Amino acid sequence: MSDHATAVSETSASEAIIRRAAPYRLPAGVVAAVVVGLVLTYTLGGRDPGLVTQSVVTGLLLGGVYALVSIGLTLIFGVLGVVNFGHGAMLSMSMFIVYWMTTSLGLPVYLATVVAVPLMMGFGMLVQRGLLNKLTLEGNHEGPLLVTLGLSLLIINVLLMIFGGRPLSVPSSVEGSLRVFGAIASYERMIAFGGALLVALLLTLALKKTSLGMSIRAVSANSQGAQLVGVNVGRIYALTFGIGSACVAVAGGLLAPFLSLTPTVGEEFTILAFVIVVLGGLGSVVGAMVGGVVIGLVQTVGALYLPGTGSLILVFAVFVLVLLFRPQGIFGANR
Amino acid sequence: MQKLMGVATAVLLTTTLVACSDDASGGRSGGNVDEVTIGALHPLTGSLAGVGTMMSNAAKMAVHDLNEDGGIECLDGAQLRLETGDSKGTASTGQSEAQRLIDNGAVALVGTYQSDVTQNVAAVAERSGVPLVIDVAVDDAILEQGYQNTFRIQPDATSMGTDGGQALFEIAQQNGQPIDRVSYIHLEGAFGQSVFDAFAAEAKSAGVEVSETTYSPTNFTDATTVVRQAAAKNPDVILVTGYYPDSLLIAQAVHQLNPEIDALYGIANGAFDNTSFPADAGNAATGVLSANYHFDATDERVQDIRQRFEEQYGQPMETAAVLTYQAAVVIEQALEDACTDAPAEVRDAIAAAKIEDPLLAFDGPIVFDETGQNKNATVIAMQVQNGQVEQVSPEQFKTSDIVYPVK
Amino acid sequence: MTPTAERLKSDIRAADDPRLRDNSTRNAFVVLGALAVVLAVLPLVANDRFETIAVQTLIFAIIAVGWNLMSGYGGLFSFGHAAFFGIGAYTDAYLVVEHGISPWIAMVVGAAIAALAGVGIASLCLRYELAGPYFALATFAFAQLFLLLVQNLDFLRRTEGFNLPILPEESFWMLQFERGSDIYVWIPAGLLLVGLAITILYVRSRAGQFVQAARDDEVAAASLGINVMRVRLGAVALSCGITSVAGTFYTQYHFFVGPHQAFGAAVSIEAIIPAVIGGIGTIWGPLVGALIVGPLAELIESVLRDPPGSLSFLQGVAGLDVAVYAALLIVIVLFMRKGIYGTLKDRWRK
Repeated sequence: MSDHATAVSETSASEAIIRRAAPYRLPAGVVAAVVVGLVLTYTLGGRDPGLVTQSVVTGLLLGGVYALVSIGLTLIFGVLGVVNFGHGAMLSMSMFIVYWMTTSLGLPVYLATVVAVPLMMGFGMLVQRGLLNKLTLEGNHEGPLLVTLGLSLLIINVLLMIFGGRPLSVPSSVEGSLRVFGAIASYERMIAFGGALLVALLLTLALKKTSLGMSIRAVSANSQGAQLVGVNVGRIYALTFGIGSACVAVAGGLLAPFLSLTPTVGEEFTILAFVIVVLGGLGSVVGAMVGGVVIGLVQTVGALYLPGTGSLILVFAVFVLVLLFRPQGIFGANR
Repeated sequence: MQKLMGVATAVLLTTTLVACSDDASGGRSGGNVDEVTIGALHPLTGSLAGVGTMMSNAAKMAVHDLNEDGGIECLDGAQLRLETGDSKGTASTGQSEAQRLIDNGAVALVGTYQSDVTQNVAAVAERSGVPLVIDVAVDDAILEQGYQNTFRIQPDATSMGTDGGQALFEIAQQNGQPIDRVSYIHLEGAFGQSVFDAFAAEAKSAGVEVSETTYSPTNFTDATTVVRQAAAKNPDVILVTGYYPDSLLIAQAVHQLNPEIDALYGIANGAFDNTSFPADAGNAATGVLSANYHFDATDERVQDIRQRFEEQYGQPMETAAVLTYQAAVVIEQALEDACTDAPAEVRDAIAAAKIEDPLLAFDGPIVFDETGQNKNATVIAMQVQNGQVEQVSPEQFKTSDIVYPVK
Repeated sequence: MTPTAERLKSDIRAADDPRLRDNSTRNAFVVLGALAVVLAVLPLVANDRFETIAVQTLIFAIIAVGWNLMSGYGGLFSFGHAAFFGIGAYTDAYLVVEHGISPWIAMVVGAAIAALAGVGIASLCLRYELAGPYFALATFAFAQLFLLLVQNLDFLRRTEGFNLPILPEESFWMLQFERGSDIYVWIPAGLLLVGLAITILYVRSRAGQFVQAARDDEVAAASLGINVMRVRLGAVALSCGITSVAGTFYTQYHFFVGPHQAFGAAVSIEAIIPAVIGGIGTIWGPLVGALIVGPLAELIESVLRDPPGSLSFLQGVAGLDVAVYAALLIVIVLFMRKGIYGTLKDRWRK
């Protein structure tokens, strides 16, 4: 991850001091800003409070969806330095695997998701071992970008050849919704949100506590150093890509019940996922979670004032500001 | 060294270019014709591959049927040959594919589903003097360029907004539930905006109050807020113009929020009268109304075509594909009328054509006005009942009685 | 030439070494001349079908040549060249449609605006020391912002896009010819040759040498007194201007341009693929890459459209052509690490 290392080392000394002094100041600030923004929307926003509550609930749940998609990406981007353009296509792929298992084998959606996880993990490791490892070990940046781009085209079009392009839907097992303060929250989306939290928690614990997690963090911080102390960097890369892909499988399974499945469905998320990954900080699982929720809220609450693409302009404006003023992201300092 | 590399580059350049310039079997003959080529251009890959492939298949089936039927009698039973193209959903590929089809001898084109691709292909058609019969592509702007070679069978966005509005107000009146206020949810962009503007004008003259909510189809994965916004205005009816996935989400959100409305009503909606909508939306689909151009389900020929299509391709034939089929029929008729395969004369024959008994539920025969728009294209009202899309208005196309208000 | 650079003139004699400079520049121009002859003659001998593929390939090549200046030689990996292509395309559409101004003027105006926009974006990114993937993502975000802005601006017709009026007769001044005219190949060919000539001259120029030095070792370059920021912005301006010219020609050739044709993420990717396939940071790499990638998709498609007997079951399978293209792309990247031209050049040297 040489480039990330440079980016960090290039940041000014004063910033480094601030970081050392108060590692949690910025995350707390972001949370505070979000809360203040919401309070202002309620009090001075001039919109019906019920509507604001709905957009906040929707935004939170949508944020969960975004976070779920971004967690795998942030791991791959953070540790391998690979801008994985195949991410969206792999998301589609997981959804279609789940679709196939529910319709052909009759498995319930969430059980199918559990089965899809090891499949996608294997696929991810295969991709990294077979296609990317040589390039990433060389520190080549354009190569992986193009390979994953090619992979994305390949996956999408193979899915097209197998399943056709008509929108398909996965039979749902838990229809219905819950009323929270007068706002609607569908069970499926709440399960997806819960899944995101669970994945984030498990992954954080695994990275902190297990020896594999230690190796991954070591490689992420300094791959050469890790190699010197006997870590098999190639193997760690493959495992990281595999774990990232496993996260994608969870995302696919939890999203499939409420999206129309076409081979390009996952692509919709790719761009936003990159925004979230940078916002949260490369490689930071908690950052992806917080970033997802922030972007989800900006998009839905923003849409009350700037409908349609207007709220997306807002999202990208936030992105550019973060890139310029804090390229390491909200949680980048924790690494 | 550099020189050698340069020579290598030049050689490479020449071979690549020569390799891809294999001779096209073009050349339209004047006298004896035993085969006439028409081109069908649709998105066969990319995000619209599903519907594009279906439309391309419909073109194949139409050509097959027409040939079975004796080909073009006036040209001594000359057979039709179909050349298909893949726009990949992008305008520049659409253009190069259109040129390829024309270079390969196509005397008329059918396509292309997307408005931006159609704009490009229409320009190619115009400059080549080859007629383009649009099966599906909705933007008003396409026919506002003064092109002489572009014709459209389906209604444009503006007329659908107007006709859809009229149909709604009539239905409400007839069922004793006059409308005071509606909320209209539509996607951003030329299509959604034109339909909405036309509807709003219609509503104004009917004395109906309209509030507007827009959304962007990109990154649209949750409709709850949008629907909540629309419902907050206490409307009698919520109207929706959008594509399939977003309209599906909107219908589901309306079902969950369960506002006090008489109906959920789509105009030019990509989902509400699609055959897979009732199954995909489940309970949320029940009673949903849709004003859209639609195949004529009461017509036996249509039933036969649709049944054979489903047997052959394993999927139901949607309206878009019926329009492609219809476009092929229009071209065949024009070839018959013109009695030649010269594109210019085929164009004139299309401009003068009158196709009785269209496969679509239209006001009358297919007749093109001076801009190339089918004058009799219009929408009918449909409703999801018992997991089926039924035609409910007007009287002559009815397959079932309307339920209104829905709750 | 800045005073600082003037003072350093004597320090960087290497760049002026006649043994190095004269030969390679002259040779490059010899190749360019040969290329000009080939490009001039080919449309005369090839058929109609050739035109569309050739024009698309040439547009590809111009974008890639532009991208290569900034990202190959300048070391600033742009993932948002759609922004500059789009500026060229929309400037042309707007000026031609709304004001009836000649596309040639629009081309110059568009290039100027694109260069300014590029310098603005790059200076912002460089000031905040964005490098590597961060720089790439920032340029990508700006391209997306441009796309969203165009979709929300009335004077650019939002999502509707512009149709160019079709003139009754050919006009060089309005850059419009009969469909299938050879001129449609010669113009982008000419623009490509100019782009290549600029690359050749720039790479050997002092600014070009400086920017490569800064790419290879920023600290060392700065310590030699090179104004790194300034030489980089120079490369960015050239790069964006050239890319914008391709956009202008795109609009003229296609008669229609909408937000996605101009500013879509696909365009940014199309800028990168030929350059990487051919070999980035080389003069001829982007061209070689475009010559392979441009016709490749078409070639695969035409083979699959009418497959040889044993493979006839593959006919009409939607998606197969793109899948094959994708697989080939992966293979090329994996086995030709420095791009096709770069790899061959290395082998030749051995």
